[in-house]
Amino acid sequence: MTCEEFELAGLDLETIQADDAVHSAAREHLRSCPRCAALHENWQTLRADLHAVGAETQEAEAPARVEMRLRQEYRTRHKTVKARRAAVYAGWTLAAAAVVVAAVSWVNWRHGNGQGSTASAVNSAQNLNITKTTPAGPELGETIVASNDAGEFTLLPGSLPGMLGDATVVRVQMQRGALGALGLTVNEERAADLIQVDLLVGDDGQPQALRLAETTD
Amino acid sequence: MHIEAQERDDVLLRRSARGDEEAFTELYRRHQAPLYRFALRMSGNVWAAEEIVQEVFMTLIREPKKFDPERGALRSFLYGITRNRVMKHLERKPRESLHEAIDEDGIGQRGIASDSPTPAEWADVRERRDQVRAAVLKLPVEFREAVVLCGLEELSYEEAARLLDCPVGTIRSRLHRGRALLLAKLEMLRDTPKRAGGSR
Repeated sequence: MTCEEFELAGLDLETIQADDAVHSAAREHLRSCPRCAALHENWQTLRADLHAVGAETQEAEAPARVEMRLRQEYRTRHKTVKARRAAVYAGWTLAAAAVVVAAVSWVNWRHGNGQGSTASAVNSAQNLNITKTTPAGPELGETIVASNDAGEFTLLPGSLPGMLGDATVVRVQMQRGALGALGLTVNEERAADLIQVDLLVGDDGQPQALRLAETTD
Repeated sequence: MHIEAQERDDVLLRRSARGDEEAFTELYRRHQAPLYRFALRMSGNVWAAEEIVQEVFMTLIREPKKFDPERGALRSFLYGITRNRVMKHLERKPRESLHEAIDEDGIGQRGIASDSPTPAEWADVRERRDQVRAAVLKLPVEFREAVVLCGLEELSYEEAARLLDCPVGTIRSRLHRGRALLLAKLEMLRDTPKRAGGSR
């Protein structure tokens, strides 16, 4: 083994185990060459020094503040991403909710509109609360007096309750004496009084019933 | 075992990328110490080492997809980033004394105090190690890497080659030249006879 070969392999003399031939040749050269022996000795010393220098920092690790800073950065970064995602989700959720509410409202409105005419007819019929004292109308010669009780309609002579299905309420102001033209008995002394009357006007435009909504006296 | 560890790193990194802080912390705790030591021994400065480790893991936070598990272990990937940062640091800043930097952190006192019973011996040992540290820091970077990994960190050639992403022969060669340079730098301290007649 030459000095160059020894320098290449012999410095690892203690760690060479696999190749016995190289190991023994290096050992042999070490015994015969004082320079390489000194070199090897120096290297052993340096190796021990390196080991000692390495051992000084063997337990060294980054200070805890590095971990804290990194975790803070990590949180900030991922919180921002999470917040952005949450905002997007919230936006979409609100939009979806608005669409659902709008759809339900529209369906309800449509449904309510379809039933509206029927319901109003029923309501009007119910609200009319017609006095059915004489279902077939007053008999001839019978005295009919307009009721002063608001909310109750009095059928006019010749009117039938079945004709009031689509009747319309019209409020008019008239002299009490005008009620006589509708077939009602009127007190002559107060015929000139102005009164408010709700007339129930049928499909044919003729008044079918009335009620005294309000009197001026 | 190694494959399992690698897989676990992958899993942790994936979890970390999805926002799992515990996974990130585990990754950090698992890898920070050797990276810090490498940066410290290469730069000779605790502040630089701290900054370098922080930057390495910042990269992991910001760009976790840079790591491709098919190209190697996460540790090698992190060493690669650390090496680049160390190079940038060495290019940017003048070399600083390791022992001063180490004393700032109190690391230097522990190893020395344990094996130097008298103040005189303590001073000798300290001076000797200061010289060795200074000599290591004066090595060219590629030789210094090999000496730091194989001489100080005491990794095998194979491990060092894996971390530095180069053939084992390259590590062996760099280590040999690094040792030779170290011996040359420290030669004045020893009575080494000159080579008489070249090869024998």
